[in-house]
Amino acid sequence: MQAVKEWATKEPLSYPVLIDTMHIVADLYGIVNVPAALWIDENDKIVRPADSTPASDMWRSFSGVDSAVHHELLRRWVRHDELTMDADEVRSFQVLPTSEVQQARLHRRIAVVLREQGDEDGALEHMDKAEQLAPHDWTIRRGNMPLRGVDPFGEKFMEFVGEWSAAGSPGFKLGTGREK
Amino acid sequence: MTQLTVIDESGSHAFAHVGFGEMGVGAKEFASATGWTLKAEGLCKGEICVPVRNSAAMSNGEAIDVAEFVRVTGRSMVVDASRNIVAMGEQASSRATAMATLDASSFTLPDINGNLVSLSDFAKRKKLLLAWSSW
Repeated sequence: MQAVKEWATKEPLSYPVLIDTMHIVADLYGIVNVPAALWIDENDKIVRPADSTPASDMWRSFSGVDSAVHHELLRRWVRHDELTMDADEVRSFQVLPTSEVQQARLHRRIAVVLREQGDEDGALEHMDKAEQLAPHDWTIRRGNMPLRGVDPFGEKFMEFVGEWSAAGSPGFKLGTGREK
Repeated sequence: MTQLTVIDESGSHAFAHVGFGEMGVGAKEFASATGWTLKAEGLCKGEICVPVRNSAAMSNGEAIDVAEFVRVTGRSMVVDASRNIVAMGEQASSRATAMATLDASSFTLPDINGNLVSLSDFAKRKKLLLAWSSW
């Protein structure tokens, strides 16, 4: 939260930065990892589904994503109304939740509230349950790491990445700018 | 009196636990926290009403049973009875149906200064929705 504030107040921003401790947006839009972006048009229709979209190439060697690809598509949409796909394609690239993932999101919300109430044991119990239910969802597994005091770039994270890769790298289907 | 914490998409709400049904809370308090009110036509939130067949199990006028509410509205639920906390949310099937419409669901969240911002504040404009973490 502090880090977000520092970043967001460094320069005046033309857009709002919102805090979503309960992962409401992830639930509504099928977001399973961050950074992710999706496009919503003037009529409030989703015209490009959630996908991994790094803002820069800082992690390119790790993610294998060329960030410029999304930036260029975005410019063309904003400036020239050029759409990248039709409605059926948007649907085909959406990541729909399983019952387990929806239950996991609820356990995670309970963990967040219990933590606020000072019940660390209760929070850990519900984080464990969330992770058992959604072992390959980055917003759950990696998202819980800072709550557990675990480094989201450390050894535990690399272990998770290994598990996730071994499971066939489930997640976003679109692969904007992906090189490998 | 024990408290019951109910978590939904609008946040977490603490209710005084009253003796009605499985998880009774004050009907009035429940309505102001979640927006759901029991009326003659059923459970209503805004323009949406869900029919209630067994209204005696849902409410005695004063209290509403959260467990019955979740069953009737077809939501999914996680209960931690020992900690008096309940989270309710969208079932996978109804979330999938909603996503397939491609209608961008509105949401309201606090910005970094605590001011509430909604997606609908940006109606008639193109929107890039970015999700990220500071780690």
